[in-house]
Amino acid sequence: MTEVYSIDPLIIKTPYEITYKHSYGKTSKFFTSLSSGKLMTTRCEHCKVTFLPPRADCPNCLRETKWVEISGKGTIHTFTTLYFSGEKFLKDLPFQLVYVDLEGVDTLFLTRLKTKDMKKVKVGMKIRMRISKELEWRSSDVWAEPYE
Amino acid sequence: MPRKVAAVAGGLTYFSKARKDKTQEELAAEAARMALFENDIDLAKDDIDGTIVSYFSDHFEDQLLFGSIIQDYLGFNPKPSVRIEGGGATGGLAVRDAYAHVASGLLDVAMVIGFEKMSEVNTAKGNEFIALASDTDWDFPIGGFYSGYYALMARRHMEEFGTTEEQMAMVAVKNRNNAQHNKFAQTNPKMNPFAMKDGGKITVDDVLKSPYVSYPLKRLDICLMSDGAAVLILASEEKAKKITDTPVWITGTGAGTDAMRAGDRPRTVAGVPMLPHEKKEWYKKLEYPGVHSFRAGRESARQAYKMANITNPLKQLDVIELHDAYTSSEIQTYEDLGLTRYGQGGKLVEEGVTAIDGDLPVNPSGGLIGTMHAVGGTGVMQAVEMLWQLQGVSGKFHGSDKTQVKNAERGLIHSHAGTGTYVTATIMER
Ligand SMILES: [Zn+2]
Repeated sequence: MTEVYSIDPLIIKTPYEITYKHSYGKTSKFFTSLSSGKLMTTRCEHCKVTFLPPRADCPNCLRETKWVEISGKGTIHTFTTLYFSGEKFLKDLPFQLVYVDLEGVDTLFLTRLKTKDMKKVKVGMKIRMRISKELEWRSSDVWAEPYE
Repeated sequence: MPRKVAAVAGGLTYFSKARKDKTQEELAAEAARMALFENDIDLAKDDIDGTIVSYFSDHFEDQLLFGSIIQDYLGFNPKPSVRIEGGGATGGLAVRDAYAHVASGLLDVAMVIGFEKMSEVNTAKGNEFIALASDTDWDFPIGGFYSGYYALMARRHMEEFGTTEEQMAMVAVKNRNNAQHNKFAQTNPKMNPFAMKDGGKITVDDVLKSPYVSYPLKRLDICLMSDGAAVLILASEEKAKKITDTPVWITGTGAGTDAMRAGDRPRTVAGVPMLPHEKKEWYKKLEYPGVHSFRAGRESARQAYKMANITNPLKQLDVIELHDAYTSSEIQTYEDLGLTRYGQGGKLVEEGVTAIDGDLPVNPSGGLIGTMHAVGGTGVMQAVEMLWQLQGVSGKFHGSDKTQVKNAERGLIHSHAGTGTYVTATIMER
C-alpha cells in the first residue's frame, strides 16, 4: 500500500531496490589474488608506469598492461576524518580516509586507514596495506594501517 | 567563423532545502517566466528556437528522460532540445553547449533550463547519490562521500602551501554574508520565504566552531543542497540587438577534464600549464596537479582567456561567480584561474581582494555556500547572475543594491564537477 507523507501538497513514499550483476572484467585478478594474500596490480612496460587501482589498458599509450605484485608498504600523502557520510557508511562513523603513496606504484591509492589512535595520524606517516580475511569482493577488502 | 553570441535574459527561483510546493517542471516554469517577463526584452516565448536542458541526476526523482517532460511542460515541442549532464559542471557545460548551438547557427535564440530537486530523498541518501558520481568500483565502497574527497584535497593543499582553516572560514563568511542581500538565497530568511530558518550572517568564529563533517572541512565550509531552477536565454548577434539594448556577450569559453580518481592524476614537477602573466620559475619545484590543485580548472581558464584575449585575469576581470562547493575549493580555484600564484589562494581572501568591495569580487551572489546548489541549475544560475551584474540590474532582481559590483564590464563564470573532473570557464562582457 502506498504510504502517504503529506496531503497538501500530496507527497507519497516510493521505495526503490535493485541488484546489479557487476563484472570487474580484466581487473578481477586484483580481487581474486587477495584470497592468496597477494596485492596485485598492473604495469605498462612501455610507459614504465604502475597503476593502482589496476587498469587493463594503459591510458597513456593504450597498450595492454601486465600484472605485478606490490609490497603494500608506503606513506600517507593526505588524510581526513569523516563524521558524516553517505547513507551506506553512516554505521562506520567516524572513520578515516587516506591517499597512500605505495612502494612501486606511481598513482596514489584511496583507502580507509584503520588505527587505534586517529589523533596521531599525520602526512608522511608509514603504513602498510592489510587484506581482509572475509572477502566481500569490494575495494574495502583492503585498507591501510600504521606500520612501525 | 563562429557567430557572436549574447546572453539577453535570465530567471531564477527562490532556492530552498525543499521546495515541496512545486514539482521540478513547475520550478523550471517559475524561472522561465522570470526570464521571459521580468527582463527588459522584446522577445516572445515563440521566438525561442530550441532548448538545452541541464540537470545532473536521474536518481533524485527516479525519472529518466526528464528533459522531454520539461520540453513538453514549457510548451516547446516540436522544437529541438538536448539534455546536458556533467556532474557539478552540468550547468556550465549546458551554457557552453547553448553558446555552441547559437555560435554555429543551429539555433538563433536558445533557452538553457537548469534545475535539480534534491529533497525527495534524505540528506544521507542524497550524499550517497552524489558519491555515485565517483568511481563506484574503487573510491565509493571504502566510504565514499564527496566532502571526504574534498577534505583529502584540502588537507594536502594545507600541507603543500600552508593554507589554514581560518582562511577557509573567511570564504564561508564572505559568501554567506553576500547571500544576505540576495532574495533568492537559501540562507537568507529575511528575503526568501523558502529559506532555512537558521540562516543569516555568520562570523569566522561560527565557521570554526561548526562541527567537522570531514576534517578539515566543517559544516559551514560546505555548500548547500537545494531545490530550484535557473533559466538563461542566449541569442545570435543579429537577434540579440533586436531583443535588448544591453546584451552581454560571451567572448570566451573553455573546458577541462581530469581523472575521476584524483589519485590517478599526475604529479609532474613543473607541470603547471602556464597562463600568459605567469613565470616558469614560480612553479619549478611544484608537483602538479597532484591532489591539491584542479588541472581541469586551469585548462578551462587557459582556453577561455586565450579566446577572450585576457592576459592578466586579476586586472582584466571585474567580477567572478565560481563553484564554491567547499571553501577550500574556492581557494584552490583562485589559483587555477590565475588570480594569484599557486599556494597563495588563502592570502587572496585574507587580504579582502575577493570581497564584495574588493578589487575582484568573487561570488557576490552568495555562491553555492550562501545561495544554492541545485546541481543542474548551479552553472546556469552563475550565468544569470553574471548577466544581471554586467547589465547593472542585480539590485533590481536581488531586492538589494548591495550585491551589485559597480561598473562591472567583464566577468568570469566557473562551473566544476566532482573533485575537478569536468570544469568550464566562460567569459562574459557587456
Ligand atoms: Zn603505456
